[in-house]
Amino acid sequence: MSSWRNHVRTSLHQRDKVEKVPYAGVFTCLSQLEERYEIRKQILDDLLCKSLGRSGVDKGKDPRLLQLQLRESEHMQEKLSQTVSDLTTVLYLKEAELQYRQARVSLYRQEALTLARRSNSQRATLSELQHTIECQSKELADLQAEVRGLKKALAQARREKEELLQRWMDEKRVEADRLNKYNDTQERWQRLAKQLKKQLRIEIGKEYVVTNTWSGQTEMLPTAIHWINSTTEIRRVHSEREHVSTVTQV
Amino acid sequence: MADDKDVLRDVWFGRIPTCFTLNQDEVTEREAEPYYLLLPRVSYLTLVTDKVKKHFHKVMRAEDVEEMWFEYEGTPLKWHYPIGVLFDLHASNTVLPWSIIVHFKNFPDRDLLHCPSNSVIEAHFMSSIKEADALKHKSQVVNDMQKKDHKQLWMGLQNDKFDQFWAMNRKLMEYSTEDGGFRYIPFRIYQTTSDRPFIQKLFRPVSADGSMHTLGDLLKEMDPTALPNEGGQKRYQVVIHGIEPLLETPLQWLSEHLSHPDNFLHICIIPTPTD
Repeated sequence: MSSWRNHVRTSLHQRDKVEKVPYAGVFTCLSQLEERYEIRKQILDDLLCKSLGRSGVDKGKDPRLLQLQLRESEHMQEKLSQTVSDLTTVLYLKEAELQYRQARVSLYRQEALTLARRSNSQRATLSELQHTIECQSKELADLQAEVRGLKKALAQARREKEELLQRWMDEKRVEADRLNKYNDTQERWQRLAKQLKKQLRIEIGKEYVVTNTWSGQTEMLPTAIHWINSTTEIRRVHSEREHVSTVTQV
Repeated sequence: MADDKDVLRDVWFGRIPTCFTLNQDEVTEREAEPYYLLLPRVSYLTLVTDKVKKHFHKVMRAEDVEEMWFEYEGTPLKWHYPIGVLFDLHASNTVLPWSIIVHFKNFPDRDLLHCPSNSVIEAHFMSSIKEADALKHKSQVVNDMQKKDHKQLWMGLQNDKFDQFWAMNRKLMEYSTEDGGFRYIPFRIYQTTSDRPFIQKLFRPVSADGSMHTLGDLLKEMDPTALPNEGGQKRYQVVIHGIEPLLETPLQWLSEHLSHPDNFLHICIIPTPTD
């Protein structure tokens, strides 16, 4: 029980020990005596009035005393009747209270039943939710595994892409080297062709001069011109074919 | 509530031994003996002093008798305050029995209300109950009661019948579990050091965060000087029904169990005795 509640109870008892208990007995006793004194006084006054009216009658008995006793018993009877009436009222009240308590108990029982029902339904909902959570956890685990696999595949693809890129770069370097070499060859050939043409022109010029010494004219022979042209064409076709084969290799 | 029924009984059956003495200035035919009476703390002076009046009337001439009133050490006692409140406020920490002077002349109109009959006390009592229920339940409970139910409350107090009174009063103490208490706590704080009769304001039993307000919370808001200072020195006593409840006592519980029959929680703040 709470300490503040205990404190109130204890303090109330302590208060009554000081204020009520030492005085209750004396005060009640005093009150009863006063009440009795008042009754007796009143009865005696009444009797005195009556006895004055009929003096000398019933000398053998003490009528005043008998009357006093009678009135006292009547008073006691009145008090007892009052007590019975009070107790009946209390009984009635207690019955009413009992009914009230029973009604409350019934109400609380109903409330308890409703709460129990609600608790059961909530327990069922909880169980369902737990099942859903379990299913979703499994699903999540599967999805996580799949993501891990996909990540691995992605890494592999990236590695392969890097390798291919590297290969392509290497191939490009080789092609560049080949092209450079070809260009060098071409240049050399061009240079040689030029020199040869020059040489040929000189040679033809000499021959023509010798030939036309008779006719008096210097001109190139058609066979020599044709040879120079056909050699240049062959060289161009050969170069183009080489270029196509390099691209195919890459 | 049922667990604390013994508290309700202890509160109801609280008694103060009192010695009534006739004022020396009153004209009497013979010397008046003092009159001793155990006064119920929860009742009203004029409701339980018929015997006192009768006792002193015996020694006085009818023409010298006017409306009876009471005084303690020079202070006229207000009959419309519960007896326990009057004692705690003016005479606690003094020697018992409580010595009250009875007057039949020079009624102090400026200090006291007239009380020609019990119907005036009944009207005051019922008005307090209605005011308290207005605070607790917006008057719904007291308005739902029938005339005979109101009568039962009054008769219960008048005849000092605990069961009769509480059979009806328990309805005034009910509240829904959802609310956690009354709407407002009907309380009155009396101070000996103040000129105003009492402090009465709106105060809820449950705080905004849902925790229960305590007696300490109430005093902190209404009269912080009543609380012990930082050094722990107690300058004032907070007294309800002659006891000092702990400051952590929930206000709702106090209202349900330590309220007077008028449904108000009467709190007295008196200086701590020096001796």
